Amino acid sequence: MEEMILSPGSTCQGCGAAMAARLTFKVLGPNLIRHGIPCCPDHVTKHPRQGAVFEGGGSSLTGSSRALKALGRTDVKAVGFFGDGGTYDIGFQGLSAAAERNENILVITKDNEAYMNTGGQRSGGTPKYAETTTNPVGPNSRGKNEPKKNIPMIFAAHYVPYIATASVAFPEDLMQKVKYAKDIEGFRLILIQSPCPVGWRFDPAKTIELARAGVQAGVWPLYEIEHGTTFKLNYKPKELKPVSEYLKPQSRFRHMTEVEVNEVQANVTSNWQRMLKSDEMKTVVL
Amino acid sequence: MSYEVMVGNKATAVGCKLARVKVAAVFPITPQTTITEYLSEIHASGELPGFEFINAEGELSSQVIAQAAEAVGARSFTCTSGPGLLYMHHPMQETASKRLPLVMAVVHRGVKSMQPDHSDLMSQQWQGWLHIYVENAQEILDTTVMAYKIAEDKRIRLPVAMGYDGYVLSYTAEPVEIPAQEDIDAFLPPYKPMPGILPVSDSSDKWRDFEADPKGFGAGWGEGDPMKPWQMHNEAVLNGEKVIKEVFAEWGKKFGRTYGNGMIEPYRVEGADCVITAMGTIAGTAMAAIDKLWADGKKVGLVKIRSFLPFPRNDFQEIAKGVGAIGIFDRSCQPGFYGPVYHQMRSTLYDEAKRTPILGFIGGLSGKEVRIDDMYKIGEKTLKVAKGGKPEAPIQWV
Amino acid sequence: MHGRGGQGAVTASRIIATAAYEEGKYSQAIPMYGTERRGAPLTAYVRIDNVRVRERELVHTPGISLCFDPLISLQQAVANDLKPNGQVLLNAPFAPEKSELAGEINIATVDATSIALETLGRPITNTAMLGAFAKATGVVKLESIEKAIKKYFPGRLGDMNIAAVRKSYEKVSPWVPAKNKVAPKMQVDLEVGGYGTLKDVSSWRVFYPVVNEEKCIGCKTCWIFCPEAALEWKANNKPAMVDRACKGCGVCANECPVKAIEMKRVEGA
Repeated sequence: MEEMILSPGSTCQGCGAAMAARLTFKVLGPNLIRHGIPCCPDHVTKHPRQGAVFEGGGSSLTGSSRALKALGRTDVKAVGFFGDGGTYDIGFQGLSAAAERNENILVITKDNEAYMNTGGQRSGGTPKYAETTTNPVGPNSRGKNEPKKNIPMIFAAHYVPYIATASVAFPEDLMQKVKYAKDIEGFRLILIQSPCPVGWRFDPAKTIELARAGVQAGVWPLYEIEHGTTFKLNYKPKELKPVSEYLKPQSRFRHMTEVEVNEVQANVTSNWQRMLKSDEMKTVVL
Repeated sequence: MSYEVMVGNKATAVGCKLARVKVAAVFPITPQTTITEYLSEIHASGELPGFEFINAEGELSSQVIAQAAEAVGARSFTCTSGPGLLYMHHPMQETASKRLPLVMAVVHRGVKSMQPDHSDLMSQQWQGWLHIYVENAQEILDTTVMAYKIAEDKRIRLPVAMGYDGYVLSYTAEPVEIPAQEDIDAFLPPYKPMPGILPVSDSSDKWRDFEADPKGFGAGWGEGDPMKPWQMHNEAVLNGEKVIKEVFAEWGKKFGRTYGNGMIEPYRVEGADCVITAMGTIAGTAMAAIDKLWADGKKVGLVKIRSFLPFPRNDFQEIAKGVGAIGIFDRSCQPGFYGPVYHQMRSTLYDEAKRTPILGFIGGLSGKEVRIDDMYKIGEKTLKVAKGGKPEAPIQWV
Repeated sequence: MHGRGGQGAVTASRIIATAAYEEGKYSQAIPMYGTERRGAPLTAYVRIDNVRVRERELVHTPGISLCFDPLISLQQAVANDLKPNGQVLLNAPFAPEKSELAGEINIATVDATSIALETLGRPITNTAMLGAFAKATGVVKLESIEKAIKKYFPGRLGDMNIAAVRKSYEKVSPWVPAKNKVAPKMQVDLEVGGYGTLKDVSSWRVFYPVVNEEKCIGCKTCWIFCPEAALEWKANNKPAMVDRACKGCGVCANECPVKAIEMKRVEGA
C-alpha cells in the first residue's frame, strides 16, 4: 500500500487528523479525487484536489461523482476528507442531501471536536463540558453546555449503504473499514476520532494513547451500520475503562468537578448498554 | 430544423439539450421552476444519453455541484432566480475564480419581489462572471448554446450568466426555431477542460503529483503578488468582447440569425438623432416604441444592450460620436447609487472628446409594467436633449 | 520578533506593547501569520513611540530584532534589514561572539529555552526572552514587563512567568558587534506561505527519536502511527527517522511496546 500523504504535512506535531489521513488514503490508493473544504488539515495528500466552499462538501462530491459517471470514468472515486465543522454544522445540509440522494461518494470525517482550523471554536461535535475558545469556562459557564451531536446515527437514519466510526488508535480496524467502504456504491461515511493536541490541550506524544483511552472507556465506540438497519459493534472490551482516564490528560476538561465527571460516566455507560443491546440484536432502532 | 411554440423556460432546457449538457443541478424557485421540470423530463425520457440530473436541496448546493462537475470535465448547467441567486453568492465567486466555464440561466426576479427586475443579476456584478441579457425565447435558445462556446473559449474560460425576465418571458410562449442537433454539434464541439483534477490514467504509476486547484484566479493562496490574480481576472472578462463578437458572427453565418454584433443589437440607429438603451424584454417593447417614434417623424434609435459584463464600451464610444444624446433605461436600482447601466455609460463616455449628454431612467422595478408608451416618452425626452434642451432631471423614475 | 507558532511570540509582542503603555508611551503590536500551526515560523512586529502610532504597514527596518527560537536564531533572515547599529537579541545557548549572523549590528544572547524549561517546565520562550529584552535594550523597564505579564497571566501562571523574566534579566549577555559584516548569499527563507506543501520541517523539532535497534522487535507500531510518515522501514526490519519529515512529536516513542525509542533533545534547540 502506497503512502499517499504529503510527508511532511503542514499539520501540528502529533496531529490525529494527519494520522487519520495517512491510514485512510493508504488503503484508498491513488485513483481518486480528494475533496477538501476549509479544514484543519486540508492539503493532506498527493491526490488531485477538488476544493469547495466550507458548506459545499457534500455538493462538490456530488458534482464530481456525477461528472465522473457522465464521462465514463467510474474507475476514479470521489472521496471527501472533511472535519467536524464541514460535517456536523455548516456542511451538514449538503451532506444530508447527498445522503438522501444516495450519491456515490465516500465521506471521511476526521472529528477533532471543534473548529480547529480557525483556532478551536466549538462545533456540533464538541462534547459536553469541553472548553473551547467560544465557550470558555468562567463563573457563568462550564464549557459546552450541550451534548455532542450523534452524526453516525443521524446519517444511518438516511438509510445509506454504510456508516462507520473509527479511531486512529485502532489502525487495522480503520483500514479494514475503509477497504470495505471503498468499493460499495452509494453514500458511505466514516467518522474517525482524531485527537488534536493543540485544541484538546495534551502532550502531542500522547495522541494515540488518548484516542485508545477514549475507545476503551466507551466514549468513542467503534461500530458499523448498513442501510440504517444492521448494527455491528467492533470492539467489545470485557469492562470499560473509567472515563476519567480519558478526560484527565486533556486540559479542555480540567475544570470538571467530580459530579460532572460522574454525569459523563453515567451517560457513557448507558449509551454503551444501548450499543451492546443493538449489537446483540444485530440491528439498530432508529 | 423544427419549430415549436414554447415558453422561455422551455427554450432554456432545449438549449441545454442541444448543447449536450452532461450534468445539471437545479432547485425550484419561481419563475424558473419549470426549467428544472423540463430538464427532469429530458432526463426521464433518456433522449440525452449520459445526462446526469440532480435535484439539489438548495441553490447554493446546485452551484457547488455544477462547479465541481465542470472542474472534473463535464459540461454543466444550473439556473435560478432572485433570492436563489443571492443564496449562491458564496460559491458563485469560486466558479469564476477557478475559471470554470459554467453556464447559468438567471430568470430575473427582483430582490424586493417575485416579479422581474434586474436587481438579482446586477447584485452579482462583483463575482467575475460574464453577464448577457436576452429579450425573447428564440434568443434564449440560441444564447444558451453560444454561451458554452464563449465560456469554454481558451481566451475566456469564465462562467456566463444569461439573464432573462421572469413571467413575461419565462412563462410566455412564442414560436421558436429549433436547429438540428448535427448543426449544433458542428458549431459547439465537446468541452475540453483545462488539465485539471481528473487523474490522467487509471494505472497507479501514472497519477499526478499534488497540485493546487486548476490554475485560476486566486487559486494559490498566499503565493506571489496578491494583486496579480485580480488583474488577470479583470483582463479575462474584458477579453469577452472579442470572443462574444466572434461567436455571434459565426452563429449568424451558420444559422442565419444575428443579434447585432453580439455585444449590442442596434435598432434603427442609422440616421437617428439620438438613441435609447434597454436590456431584456423591455428592449422588445422599446423597438415597438421606436417604430412609432419614427412614424411620428422623431428619429430615435434603440441600442439593445446584450452584454452588460463586459460592457460594450467600444461600441458606445463609437455610437456616441454620431448622436446628440443617449437615454439609458435601467431596470434596477442600487440604493444610493441609482442604476448600474447609467454609471457604466457615464464612465465609458467620460474621456470622449465630444461630450454626449446622457439621461438616466429607472423603471420596471419589482415587475412594474413597462409599456410602449413609457418607452415612447423616454425617446421623446432624449430627443429633446439631443436638440439642445435640458432634461427635467439627470435621472428620472419611470 | 521571530518565532514559531506555539512559542508565544505574538503574546510577547503584546506584552511589550502593554509595558510601553504602562510607562506612558504609545504602542502597536502586529502579528503576521502564514500557516497557523504550532511549530511553523511566524513574525510579530512592535512599534513604540511617544505619540500615537498611526501607520500600519509592517516594520520593514526594525531597530531591534528578537528571535525566540534557537534554530531560527541561526538564520540570517532575523538579522536582515535592520537599521544601522541595530540590535539582535537571540535565544541561543552560546555566547554572542559565536553567532554567525552578519551585518552592521550588535548581538546579544540568552538561553531562553533552558530558562523556560527550568521555570515553566515547557519550552515556551516568550516570557523568558522579555526579561533579557528589558535589560539588554532598555526600551522598557523590568517592572513594566512584570506588570504587563500579570495582565496576561493571572495567578500562579503569572508568578512562574515572572520568574522566567527575572532569570533572563540576569542572564542575558552584553552586546557584541557582529563579527561578520557581509551577509551570506545563501539564506533560508522563513516565509512558510500558505497551506501548501512543506519541504523540510526538521527545524520544528525540539526533540527527535533515537532507535535502540537491539531492543526493537520490528513490530512496526511506531511506523504505522507516525502522522508524517517520517519513519522509514529499513532492510534490517528496523525504523529510521526521515530527517526532513519528522516534527519530533514523540508519538513513536510513546507507543513503542518495548520502549526502544528515546526522544533526545536537539542540539542547540
